[in-house]
This record gives sequence, structure tokens and C-alpha cells, in this order.
Amino acid sequence: MTKKKTSAPKKGAGPSSHRHTNDRGHCVDLLRQLSAYIDDELPSDICQEIRRHLGACPNCEVFIASLQQTVTLCRHRPAPQLTSDDRMNMRRAILNTANAR
Amino acid sequence: MRTTAPKTPRQRQAMQESGEFDTLYRDYVDLIYRYAYRLCGEAESAKDLVQETFLNAYKGLKDFRGEAQVSTWLYTIASRACIRMRRKRKGQPEHELSLEEFVPASEGEFRLQIPMDGLSPEEALQSKELRQALDQAIEKLPPKYRMALVLRDMEGLSAKEVGTIMGLNERAVKSRLHRARLFVRRELSARGITRHDDHKPGGMRS
Repeated sequence: MTKKKTSAPKKGAGPSSHRHTNDRGHCVDLLRQLSAYIDDELPSDICQEIRRHLGACPNCEVFIASLQQTVTLCRHRPAPQLTSDDRMNMRRAILNTANAR
Repeated sequence: MRTTAPKTPRQRQAMQESGEFDTLYRDYVDLIYRYAYRLCGEAESAKDLVQETFLNAYKGLKDFRGEAQVSTWLYTIASRACIRMRRKRKGQPEHELSLEEFVPASEGEFRLQIPMDGLSPEEALQSKELRQALDQAIEKLPPKYRMALVLRDMEGLSAKEVGTIMGLNERAVKSRLHRARLFVRRELSARGITRHDDHKPGGMRS
């Protein structure tokens, strides 16, 4: 990732010329902080460095987008609801068990 | 229907507790069922967990002093009950997820995407395939990671609240959450429902 600014990828490097095997350390460091970045928990200077890396590293940019989408899908996944019969039957079962003990 | 007034202090106390329980149950059963369903992945186990949770809440109601929010208290009871029930069933053992296993081995793995372009999350989740893939990925998570993800990303609680419920510090919550998210992302990618970037390089897994 981007704590070492001197080794940032060269500007203009296209996707095909970017090799994570050569710059793997930056990308692995970024991977460790992605959730904190998504959740806006990092200091602004670190965020700026991450944005700079993302701008120069298409692979990481795509990776973070897919992680963000994963979080978004989780947040919007609806859960089924109980029927009123379910609520009533469970309440009865709970009270029966509680009073039997 | 005519009801008989309670005669003894014990009966009066039981009536009072029953009334408090009814209010608690009415206000929170849907919340706890939603949480239970997300933890268990299916309705019958979720109902068992709801019953176990409210049974424990009923027994603990007189000792609940309101230091925590009622919802946090119930989430905590449900989480502990879930762990106990899983131990009884001898389900899949816990295992640790290391960050290293989520480092993509190729550029192709970096570039896997989830097909949401132009769609809102609600629209994307209209896809049965995507819904199933998401549910199965969450279900495959080792339980302690699943609990962190469900509480934080699905129930929408803060890391601090999740820590209170799970008995962890915030740092540990965030660590589990991060690994859980990376796991789900990788599972969604590996299902083949993802699409690739237009200018994808070679080395992609099928």
C-alpha cells in the first residue's frame, strides 16, 4: 500500500503493465485496511494515500469496488418475517416452558 | 371473559412479570427473529433460537436493570444461546480465517466483480442467483465471523455495540468483520455470478 510514497506505481501505467507480483507489498497492505477505509475509520492522510494508490492500481480499484458491493448487498439483504400465527405460537411455547420449569 | 384478581403477592408479581414479558416480546420478537434467521439461515432453527432467547429473557427480566439498551441485551442473549445450541448440535468447528488467504493469487482474482453495475442493491438482489450466492456465502462463514458480519453489516450495529454483544474489544470486532467481508466477496466471486472487467488480463480462474 501507500505508506511508502516513493514506490507508488508510475502514472500512466496501464492495466496490462501493472504487475502485482512486482508491487505486491502495497496491494497486500491495502487489503489489510480496506474495511477501515470503506467504513471511513482512517485518518485523512492515510485515506489520501489509499486514493492515490487506487488511482494508479486498477486491480486494487476493482477489488475495493467489489468489497464495497459485498457490504452493500449485505446491508440490503431483506430477511423473512414472522407470521402472526408464528408469533402467537412461539409466545405460547415460551410461557409454557417457563411455567413448567 | 371475567378474570380473577391475583390474591397473593407471588401471583401479583407473576402477573406483573407476564405483562412486562408481553411488552418485551411484542416489541422485539421481529428484531430477534430477523437476527436469528440471519445467523441460522433457515426458519425452524431461527424459531428455536427466538424461543430460547425469550425464555432466557423471561427468566432474566427481573434482574435487567437497564444499563444496556434492551435490544443490546436481547442480541447478547440470542448470541450466547446460538453458541450453546450450536455446541449441542456439534456443528462445524470454528476455524480461523487468515488475511493471507484472501490475497488474490492472480490479477484475474483481483478483478473479479459483482454484477451490480447500474443497479441499486435492491434491484441487484432481485436476482435469485445473487441472493442465494450471498446467503450461502454467509452461511459458509465460520460462526464467529458470521456473527460479526450479521451484527455489523446486516443488523447495522456499531463496532462498539457488536463488541459488547460478543464480549470483544472493537479492534477484534473489526478484524473479524474484515475477514468475514473478504470471505463473502471471494465466495461471491467464485460462484461464477461475477463478470470480468472489459480489459481483463489473463490468469483468471474459472
